[in-house]
Amino acid sequence: MAPEATLSHLHRADGSATYSHNGYCIIGAVNGPVEVMRRDELPEEATIEVNVRPAAGVGSPKERHLEMLLHNTLRGIILTRSIPRTLVQITLQVRSLPEEETSCGVSPSLIILPHLLHTALLALLSASIPLSTILTSTLIAIPANSSPLTSPTAPDLLRAKPIRSAHVFAFSADGKMLLNESDGTFNFEEWDEAAETAEQVCCRDEGGVGLGEGMEVDGQEGGNLDVWLREVVNKKVQWETRWKSAK
Amino acid sequence: MATATPANPPPALSFPRPIFAAVDPHPFLQAHLASKNAPQRANGRAAAEFRTPAVHTGSLTHCNGSAVVRLGNTSVVCGVRAEVLREEDTQGETFASAATESEEREEIERLRLLVPNVELSTGSTPNHIPGNAPSAFAQTLITRLRSILLSTSLLRPSDLRILYTPPSNPDDATADPEPAVKAYWVLYIDVFFISIDGNALDAAWLSILAALRTTVLPHAYWDPELEAILCDDHVATAAKLELRGLPIPSTFAVFEGRGEWDESGEEEEGGNWVLSDPDAFEESVCRERVTLLVDCSDGEKGDVLRKVERCGGGGVGREEMRTLVKRAVERWHEVTKVLAKSEV
Repeated sequence: MAPEATLSHLHRADGSATYSHNGYCIIGAVNGPVEVMRRDELPEEATIEVNVRPAAGVGSPKERHLEMLLHNTLRGIILTRSIPRTLVQITLQVRSLPEEETSCGVSPSLIILPHLLHTALLALLSASIPLSTILTSTLIAIPANSSPLTSPTAPDLLRAKPIRSAHVFAFSADGKMLLNESDGTFNFEEWDEAAETAEQVCCRDEGGVGLGEGMEVDGQEGGNLDVWLREVVNKKVQWETRWKSAK
Repeated sequence: MATATPANPPPALSFPRPIFAAVDPHPFLQAHLASKNAPQRANGRAAAEFRTPAVHTGSLTHCNGSAVVRLGNTSVVCGVRAEVLREEDTQGETFASAATESEEREEIERLRLLVPNVELSTGSTPNHIPGNAPSAFAQTLITRLRSILLSTSLLRPSDLRILYTPPSNPDDATADPEPAVKAYWVLYIDVFFISIDGNALDAAWLSILAALRTTVLPHAYWDPELEAILCDDHVATAAKLELRGLPIPSTFAVFEGRGEWDESGEEEEGGNWVLSDPDAFEESVCRERVTLLVDCSDGEKGDVLRKVERCGGGGVGREEMRTLVKRAVERWHEVTKVLAKSEV
């Protein structure tokens, strides 16, 4: 099932997105480029601040770790050098979690990571922050007794227990691996296979890439995240430029 | 303007090494790595060269286990202290007998039997401002260490349970009484950084591992008359922890070289270097880092990987990961020898 996304629905933030997938619902808001505190100012590039707010309670070291991962990943795709001495503030509020989140045998921060990344990216797109590329991310779980699961829901994981290893991958539009967090017991071949599966899910088929136009639809269309993301943006742009086509 | 001092020599067109490093760290490191005759890192190591750890165990008297680890200029102290958690304080969450590894992991995680903490001492690194709440860096480090402790199932709950077997019923001698969990040992694992010169995670984990390997828990038992947990004074009855496997992390930093700036205004792609065990200077220049947690205690052919963490860029492809795994496996053998030597 493809994720659902609503863009630019918060009117006071520069950019916003609500994203829901597999029982997770996250609201993202981006403000930027705005003025930066002197202490955090970087002379040649923009400062990026990521805040992750959990569904219940205040942030804990777990959220700090997620923030650090998001910060390091987004720093690579935001063109920070084109907006120096400014701040890009990304706030992600987790709205709802699936019930089985803590009991499904995979670390909760691994399961939520792809959703956080997607929300952050959609909010950045909505805020028109200059980006060098887009990213897509997915979770691959390898259960002990069955075949690997691609972006499984929490009940899927619960049914497939015990899980031998879980892998989160994020790829840029040109197929570079931007982030990988893997956990469990596995060997290099399993990791390699998981990475390949993730790449197929995240990145468009090389054959389908047209020059500058993202209209081609090929067999991969069903669950491909890159295609999904382009569609979301396409819809948003169409809505915003509807005055052009109005007769 | 008249000056008394003799005329200075004309300013040279080059400046000394430390100034080059401070003014423009990226080209400084690239100049070292891309050098034609002797490519090496600014700290004199080869790209694939790790720092040899120095491990000293059992130096803290008041801990159940302790270790000091030095990795170049990164030095860490780790102390493990065991406290008793009574059964009635576990909020009724009883795990009668955890059979599988994931149930064991859940028992340790739910009861919070392992409490790692990281503290950065004043002056350990220039980035750390003393007197503040734990920085994002320290909090991230704690989360990563805790997740390694839990996901590798390093400790067995059977080592941490304090059991009591009631005397058998004289009327029914055939039925064996069931042992009941009366308390748990909780391990407080405190990691204290004396100085940080890069690669804090590897050093912290090594110190935790070395400390846990030497941790000795006294024999604790439930006294039905006093209705309390008592510990045996005799050293002979104390037991060591039985760890599962020996996971060792290896951290790499990926240095993305910048190409020569040519007249068309476009930069060419420079090469990438993967630096093993980066120091603080290299960490400040490199954006991408890869940490591989490897455990070869069941042989090199099996499932050796326990954890992969990489973020910050796309400089390492899948094929390069293969060589990194190889480097991490080599590192595992090297570190295991050092750990074994430290316990003699």
